[in-house]
Amino acid sequence: MNSLLAEVTGVIRDLFEDDQITVTESTRAPDVEGWDSLMHLNIIIAVEQRYAIRFSTAEIARLKEPGQNVGSLLDAIRSKTRTSS
Amino acid sequence: MVAFTGAFVALQMPDAVRIAALLAFVLSGYLAGRILARRPSTVLLTLYLTGLTAAFVVLKRYSFLELVLPSTWIGKAIDLVGLSFVFFRQIHFVVDVKQGAITQTSIASYLCYQLNPFTLLAGPIQRYPYFHEDWQRLTPLPADGHGLRMAYLRILLGTIQVAFVAEACLWLASTPIPQLGPLWRPLSFYLFPAYVYFNFAGYCDIVIAGASLFGMRVPENFDRPYLARDMIEFWTRWHRTLSFWIRDYIFTPIYLAIGRRRPGLAGQLVFACYFLTLFLAGIWHGASWNFVVFGVLNGLGVSAAKLWETWLRRRRGRRPSGPWGTTAARVATFHFVCLTMQFLRPGSIDNLIEWSGRLRDWSVHLVTG
Repeated sequence: MNSLLAEVTGVIRDLFEDDQITVTESTRAPDVEGWDSLMHLNIIIAVEQRYAIRFSTAEIARLKEPGQNVGSLLDAIRSKTRTSS
Repeated sequence: MVAFTGAFVALQMPDAVRIAALLAFVLSGYLAGRILARRPSTVLLTLYLTGLTAAFVVLKRYSFLELVLPSTWIGKAIDLVGLSFVFFRQIHFVVDVKQGAITQTSIASYLCYQLNPFTLLAGPIQRYPYFHEDWQRLTPLPADGHGLRMAYLRILLGTIQVAFVAEACLWLASTPIPQLGPLWRPLSFYLFPAYVYFNFAGYCDIVIAGASLFGMRVPENFDRPYLARDMIEFWTRWHRTLSFWIRDYIFTPIYLAIGRRRPGLAGQLVFACYFLTLFLAGIWHGASWNFVVFGVLNGLGVSAAKLWETWLRRRRGRRPSGPWGTTAARVATFHFVCLTMQFLRPGSIDNLIEWSGRLRDWSVHLVTG
């Protein structure tokens, strides 16, 4: 598991309060019980705080669209951390 | 497409003043977008949205305005067709331009996006980037004869739903049938929501299939809404483009503002966010007091659903419900939805006052004997 995926998995486990959750880059929100719009925002907030980045409303909405997955979130994080560094 | 759009608007509002007012309302959004693209200022965006919302509230003649404005002023507001949907599309456009999510625009595509004959009257609320992408080519979406026949079939089925099924449900819900006796009223309780669904979903079938013939992808708006297990799920299945809009432009900004600054408070205030968001969605539907009740009920329903879900999760973890639990949840949600929809009926506030009076009288009689 790459380090970014491991870190984001840790964030997700903390928010769900469940260490048994396993995600891969192809995991989508409907694959995880309880990953609704509110949890999506909580994940975004946690990721923003962890990596000192900021997502716009449009970017957050795009990450929730059908077809988007954890890999899309990781790509967005990589893009924003590259831009800000 | 431009000529078709212009002709459609002219037919809906054969009045130069109304057309000019609608164009001014719409073009203000394009102008604001051009300014925000060059200078993405939060202050400018806030000022524009405040003015736009004030204009919308006055043009829609919301009942609460009677508390603060003379009725002669309110009466001067002119009716503009499709204003509610233009308003939401406008907010989406200027916010996304300011955030850099919309970079390619043209005045022709923006006007046709806002005044699109297929979405002007009652949505679905399409997002500008998808419209603009289709605008570049505008070739019919059905790729072959089968696709074309399916589009025409969908238009036919939508027409049947709107013209026959919905109208039959409305007539049965509104016309007491002596032969049914006391059964008519409970039947009416279910028939009115059936009318609302067939009327709106049928309209969406017509416009989505019709738009595809012109090369436009209009998003789906319904996904078996009466199977929802709670009010939050209901609003992801009913008028979905509205739900996603209020999620992205009302709920998300408010919740992020709280979550980013005071993460510890977000968990408690989320219920207020849910209530406020659905309350605003409710009163957006109409200007009279019955829509305020509709909004309050939906706000309460959604925030109660979140409370219940939070409590259940703490008690049993993330285990999904079994079949009996799911069925019970669907039945309860369906009945609550039917209750909220009674307030979409004209005269529903008068009925509520009358029922409240009868309940008060019955209670007094029970106590005093």
